[in-house]
Amino acid sequence: MKVCISCGMPMNSPEDFPLGDVSKDYCIHCARPDGSMQSFDEKLQGTTEFIIRTQGFDAKVARESARAMLSRQPAWKSVSQ
Amino acid sequence: MKRSIRQIQKDETREKLLSAAHIVFGQKGIMAARMSDIAEAAGVSHGTVFVHFKTQETLVAAVIDDFGIRMGQRTHDMARNSGSLRDVLKAHLEGIREDEAFYTQLVIETRSLPPIARETMISIQSAVSFHINQAAQREMDAGVIKPMSMALLFNTWIGLVHYYLTNRDLFSPEKSVIETCGSMLIDHFMHMISSAN
Ligand SMILES: [Zn+2]
Repeated sequence: MKVCISCGMPMNSPEDFPLGDVSKDYCIHCARPDGSMQSFDEKLQGTTEFIIRTQGFDAKVARESARAMLSRQPAWKSVSQ
Repeated sequence: MKRSIRQIQKDETREKLLSAAHIVFGQKGIMAARMSDIAEAAGVSHGTVFVHFKTQETLVAAVIDDFGIRMGQRTHDMARNSGSLRDVLKAHLEGIREDEAFYTQLVIETRSLPPIARETMISIQSAVSFHINQAAQREMDAGVIKPMSMALLFNTWIGLVHYYLTNRDLFSPEKSVIETCGSMLIDHFMHMISSAN
């Protein structure tokens, strides 16, 4: 089983992959509409907004939390420092 | 690459220590547990623990990290098999139930633990909130539940669950509080947010 290199989500079935392409190492939530992988800044922005909307964190804390979560993923280990 | 027998044994000991620590942390508290308690539970010498984990903090971080990965997988599996919000809440409680003692301890101690504890807690909550949000949005759009802030819906649910977990001694001193009160909490929560009141 694959795990998304960008967000850590387990990818068990084709609908977890961008455009159903199971050869990809990143998941549908980390892809742009055309199936390419989002940049770190795009993913950071999206994750921050998601945390604010669904958990109500303070904007700055949400951004720090998103950064901490992403920085532990293989795709962003070096980018996020 | 093939692992040597020595490496396999080393990995097995590490696994044994992680699962022993997980249990001991749940029983005694994460900060309160001593390395010697964990060595004893794993059936290894005190020195062996330090071969694998130089400090208690490294061990705590490894156990929490391990737990976060497991909860992530569990949360993802639950989403696959749940349609309604009620199903998602039920699956959420079942996921906690499997590691209730450790999860509860993590909730109680998060703020006094190394930063990884808070990060792991936030990433578990984010995965759970993702699935709750999806199901709740569908039911909100369909008029089954009242329109309300997604964050408040989620935080109300988490607040309720964590209150019962961290006060288990009051609600269910003898056994799992999820087992004793879980379905009551789901019924109450669904009743509160339902449009049909
Ligand atoms: Zn992803």
